Amino acid sequence: MAVKVEVRAVSKDYLIPVLDRISFSVAEGEFLCILGPNGCGKTTLLRIIGCMEEPTAGEVLIEGKPLDFAHLPEHRIGFVFQEDRLLPWKTLRENVALVLKPLGGEGERGRKVATDYLRFVGLAGFEDYFPNRVSGGMRQRAAIARALAVEPEILLMDEPFGGLDAQNRRIMQGEVQRIWRETKKTILFVTHSIEEATLIGTKLVMMSARPAAVREIIENDGGADRHAIVERLNRMITEEVIRQQGLDYGFGGATPGERPMGAG
Amino acid sequence: MAREAALGGPAAKGRGAASDLSRLAERLHVSTIVVFVLVLLVWRALSSAFGSYVMPPPGAVVAGLRRVLVSGELWKHAGATFYRIVVGFGLALVAAITMGLLASAWRQARIAVHDVIAVLNSTSVFVWIVVSLIWFGLTDMAPMFTTLMITLPVLASNVVEGVENVDPRHLEMARVYRLGEWERFRSIVIPSTIPYLVAGMKVGFGLALKVSVVAEIFGVTSGVGYIMNYSREILATDMVFVWAAVMILIMMLTDKLVFEALSRRVQRWR
Repeated sequence: MAVKVEVRAVSKDYLIPVLDRISFSVAEGEFLCILGPNGCGKTTLLRIIGCMEEPTAGEVLIEGKPLDFAHLPEHRIGFVFQEDRLLPWKTLRENVALVLKPLGGEGERGRKVATDYLRFVGLAGFEDYFPNRVSGGMRQRAAIARALAVEPEILLMDEPFGGLDAQNRRIMQGEVQRIWRETKKTILFVTHSIEEATLIGTKLVMMSARPAAVREIIENDGGADRHAIVERLNRMITEEVIRQQGLDYGFGGATPGERPMGAG
Repeated sequence: MAREAALGGPAAKGRGAASDLSRLAERLHVSTIVVFVLVLLVWRALSSAFGSYVMPPPGAVVAGLRRVLVSGELWKHAGATFYRIVVGFGLALVAAITMGLLASAWRQARIAVHDVIAVLNSTSVFVWIVVSLIWFGLTDMAPMFTTLMITLPVLASNVVEGVENVDPRHLEMARVYRLGEWERFRSIVIPSTIPYLVAGMKVGFGLALKVSVVAEIFGVTSGVGYIMNYSREILATDMVFVWAAVMILIMMLTDKLVFEALSRRVQRWR
């Protein structure tokens, strides 16, 4: 299958290095999950791929063409944020229709397309509700409808279900899998939940703690035993969290002050 | 007791009725009525102790209110005051929105706008009254200008605060989906600023009323401020109280009828 997204040695420094020469590729129609401990830079990576931030080094290729960070990308991106980021003063339909305007979907046509996508994510009948009148899960569905409505070539999702309760989370995981099967979109999905990643991803990229590097890439196409993968990833993430918090010198082994802050 | 309540026993029923009653009392503002009656009693006592020049009795004020209502004086003076406020306040609104637009469009302007607001905020009402008397003489323009200059910092600081509090996450969403400059302004900046503007208008209008009547003491021959001062000069203290009551009523009515309705309207999505 054709390579849709290629991340080549992408590094990002703020005051300290955050991303360290990240490389991986995503095939067309693949469902890639980016995994890693909290705060390791997963979101930064997704924002770079979404052209919202410029890397310090390295490049991102979409269908072989490098992203030009100085200009708006030619390809269409659907981005689902951690929070829904719907405009509270617009109805669900108006929220979806809004992003169609730059694509020439003004007026009645935009409304029609918005209605169709809201129906597709299971929000038929709620088109004229304000976001504050529906549940968090429904708001996130509307955000997904908005992302799909621009007919994106790649769909980027940044822990979209992090704010939802366990039941809603499970339902939304099923939904996003259905959407992926029916639309055949290439999806890049950031999460810190191994459970979630192994359930919905076809390819898993495990990141290490700061500065984040790719620790392992695992194919999750149903061939390998899922439980074994979960086990392995759990072990890795625990190691990373321990390393991230500077505990790897052994519990109780050192007295406070022996190690400089931030080392490790 | 707690168990009985949980089971819906007699105690629960009794408490339910009591809470219904207290809710009814809340809706009717019973406590306010009690305070009002107490104030009336104290007022009457003071009036008979000090005489009606110092403290006219409540009955005289009610009678005076009826008199100005029948004679049409009420509409003449309240109308004049209201007209000046609306003009001065309206100009302040235009100026404040302009300042907000500048602050949202241009970072350097934002700093200047902040500083201008700080200076205006620190300027006394009396400065504007005296200056406007010099500039505009004994005309309508003097109270209008004073109202303009006093309400401007209140309105402007609210508008600028609104502009600055636009959620950057919404702006980022707009960038990802490549919304144009105008669409971003229309769909995000304006709607998030409007609640701040309305809150500022509510406070600003109250201030406008309080300030414009002070400005009316000087130089004009109509308006609530003028007639109040005139009543004092002819030793009609009861009429001073009448016009004070008129002012309070105007304030409460515009607040209830205009601004509460307006803020409900602009926040119907909440």
